Amino acid sequence: MTNDPTTLPAHGDPVLRVDNLVKEFPIQAGLFRRQVGLVQAVSGVSLDIHEHETLGVVGESGCGKTTLGRTILRLLEATSGSVTYKGESVSGAPNSRMRELRRHMQIVFQDPFASLNPRMAVRDIIAEPLRIHGESRAVASARANELIDAVGLLSDYGNRYPHEFSGGQRQRIGIARALALQPTLIILDEPVSALDVSVQAQVVNLLEDLQNEFKLSYMFIAHDLSVVRHISDRVAVMYLGKVVEVADRDSIYDRPSHPYTQSLLSAVPVADPNAERNRRRIVLEGDLPSPAAVPSGCRFRTRCPIAAERCSYEEPEMQTLADGHEVACHFPLSPGESLIEVAAARGR
Amino acid sequence: MTEPVISFDDLSVSFPTDDGMVRAVRNVSFDVEPGEVMAVVGESGSGKSVTALAAMRLHPGSTEITGEVRFGGRDLLGIGEKEMRRVRGNGIAMIFQDPMTALNPVMKVGAQIAEMVLTHDDVSKKEAWTRAADLLESVGVPEPGRRVKQYPHEFSGGMRQRAMIAMAIANGPDLLIADEPTTALDVTIQAQVLEVMKTAQEATGAAILLITHDLGVVAGIADRVVVMYGGRVFESGSADQVFYRSQNPYTRGLMSSIPRLDAPKGERLIPIPGTPPNVLNPPSGCAFGPRCAFASDGCHEAHAELMSVGFDGTHRSRCHKLAELPDLFAAAETR
Ligand SMILES: Nc1ncnc2c1ncn2[C@@H]1O[C@H](COP(=O)(O)OP(=O)(O)O)[C@@H](O)[C@H]1O
Ligand SMILES: Nc1ncnc2c1ncn2[C@@H]1O[C@H](COP(=O)(O)OP(=O)(O)O)[C@@H](O)[C@H]1O
Ligand code: SF4
Ligand code: SF4
Ligand SMILES: [Mg+2]
Ligand SMILES: [Mg+2]
Repeated sequence: MTNDPTTLPAHGDPVLRVDNLVKEFPIQAGLFRRQVGLVQAVSGVSLDIHEHETLGVVGESGCGKTTLGRTILRLLEATSGSVTYKGESVSGAPNSRMRELRRHMQIVFQDPFASLNPRMAVRDIIAEPLRIHGESRAVASARANELIDAVGLLSDYGNRYPHEFSGGQRQRIGIARALALQPTLIILDEPVSALDVSVQAQVVNLLEDLQNEFKLSYMFIAHDLSVVRHISDRVAVMYLGKVVEVADRDSIYDRPSHPYTQSLLSAVPVADPNAERNRRRIVLEGDLPSPAAVPSGCRFRTRCPIAAERCSYEEPEMQTLADGHEVACHFPLSPGESLIEVAAARGR
Repeated sequence: MTEPVISFDDLSVSFPTDDGMVRAVRNVSFDVEPGEVMAVVGESGSGKSVTALAAMRLHPGSTEITGEVRFGGRDLLGIGEKEMRRVRGNGIAMIFQDPMTALNPVMKVGAQIAEMVLTHDDVSKKEAWTRAADLLESVGVPEPGRRVKQYPHEFSGGMRQRAMIAMAIANGPDLLIADEPTTALDVTIQAQVLEVMKTAQEATGAAILLITHDLGVVAGIADRVVVMYGGRVFESGSADQVFYRSQNPYTRGLMSSIPRLDAPKGERLIPIPGTPPNVLNPPSGCAFGPRCAFASDGCHEAHAELMSVGFDGTHRSRCHKLAELPDLFAAAETR
């Protein structure tokens, strides 16, 4: 069976629109917790997610993926910027309305061990959101049983407790709970990163099936570029709090335009010894700068093999290329152009 | 034929616990040849780390160990603690996932590497510090002269990993054991560290025993591969044999369950059903039996022996159905 997400058209108004979202954390020090700096965890991110679409969000640890997801759902209050759900402002919603909006937007966390209440039976964990939203015990339990079945758990598992389950099964429980209120959008924050590969594939397939069955939109956050390639329709690449490139899956993976995207893709090892032997790898120098002291101009310039003078004082704006591909770089690479060759031609 | 650097011979490691005996490693045998990279792969809990720690004799006192780990003409499981200390650091060095396992947080990085040099070579303290800076330089730490005087917390994750590698190669060991050395690192830093390991290996001629769950990392660096499942070796052979001509249902399942950067788009992943075995209550017969698409009654009665496949003895697999596997795999492909 094939499941080619690229055949799904992305049309109409987006389900979710994120506009210039900023989240800063103060760095405090000393006895009086004086503010001594700011961590720019998310610095002006704009994104759309359409109906029945999976937007993958990739980037190395600390680039702001988790903060982005949590700020969208207002689990963290944004410093500035706006989030709109089906045309309605999430950022400006009063608490009572926010509770309603949360029905439509759910989150699944990475750690299936930490995110489930150990003292509740599985059925009650899954039914809890329904109870909170005023469903009767009987209705909530019946719905929980359906969900237990939908995520591929055995029906008698409802009476058991989280510690009796393996990582993959716990992640299924977390997914069932997120589905309880029949959301439109689920933010999946590294949902398979903690799982072994054989089990990871089970959960990825489950997520694909549930998306088709319930017409869900996903924001799939991960640092694993292979999983993101597999599951996403479009992909946003983040570096130090910013989206540096966003495009449909094939353009990103086949024609990466931002130097960081090319470096990231070239660093991923492929499970094929011959391919690895013949591979030319861009090994980026240096470490990720601290988000508390971001470089001036382009944030990637301290590691970029083709950085020029201009990159140090002028921040690149997001620009749209011919194929609809958006990229924030002064010198975007054209389709087929390789960073290694461009860098070599410039004597780097 | 040259002597292997290290030979694991019928190694079994068990931990008595309140809940029963954990048989973490069962009858594991394989060799590592001089200068090669041997990878041990398998999912979490398959016994990879326990195998490595047994070679370093870094296991709790109550552990029950049988079999042999031969290194430099003797069985490491039978020598005294004093002799073992000489082996650690000089003969075999270890690189961990968390560099802080090996680095002392309150000691300057240079002092730690110099101390390592001094345990082996009779040189002046000044000379040892110079060597420390040279070693840091060889693993790609910029400004080594300044860096030697810093503490580990002043190093980034990737730089700490390099410092640990510098310390590990300080005395030119014959074998480097690296347990998930890049698992906690981001992919761009992982690429740097893998390159440093390759360079260090070329410079010192050491063999590497690389433990990882990442088949991509294995494909990029390993000459030979051991696949473990449920504490046993399920398959071993050259990287090409294991990746392209696997003769084992578990290895095949593992390979097809990973999403690959170069896979055809839109193809569905093929997971292995079920979950890895419970160490306290392993399945009877073949440990992979409950998850194996090819299992039949016999598989659940007794486990298979590790057998040679092919003609030259370099490729081994553990499965009752070795003779039928080519047909079974072909039939599964066309389904
Ligand atoms: N509550 C917080 N207080 C201060 N800094 C934070 C907080 N949460 C996250 N950060 C910082 O914000 C940056 C982005 O973190 P995060 O969103 O977790 O990144 P990712 O999920 O991509 O790994 C990191 O530098 C992190 O240390
Ligand atoms: N000291 C110990 N006591 C009890 N069980 C242990 C101990 N060390 C490891 N184990 C168990 O042995 C099995 C193999 O562990 P390990 O070698 O660490 O696996 P991995 O392949 O992930 O490195 C696991 O089930 C683990 O829980
Ligand atoms: S703007 Fe300059 S530094 Fe930034 S990615 Fe583009 S070329 Fe590199
Ligand atoms: S012995 Fe049987 S269960 Fe085990 S891998 Fe072979 S076919 Fe599968
Ligand atoms: Mg995160
Ligand atoms: Mg381990």
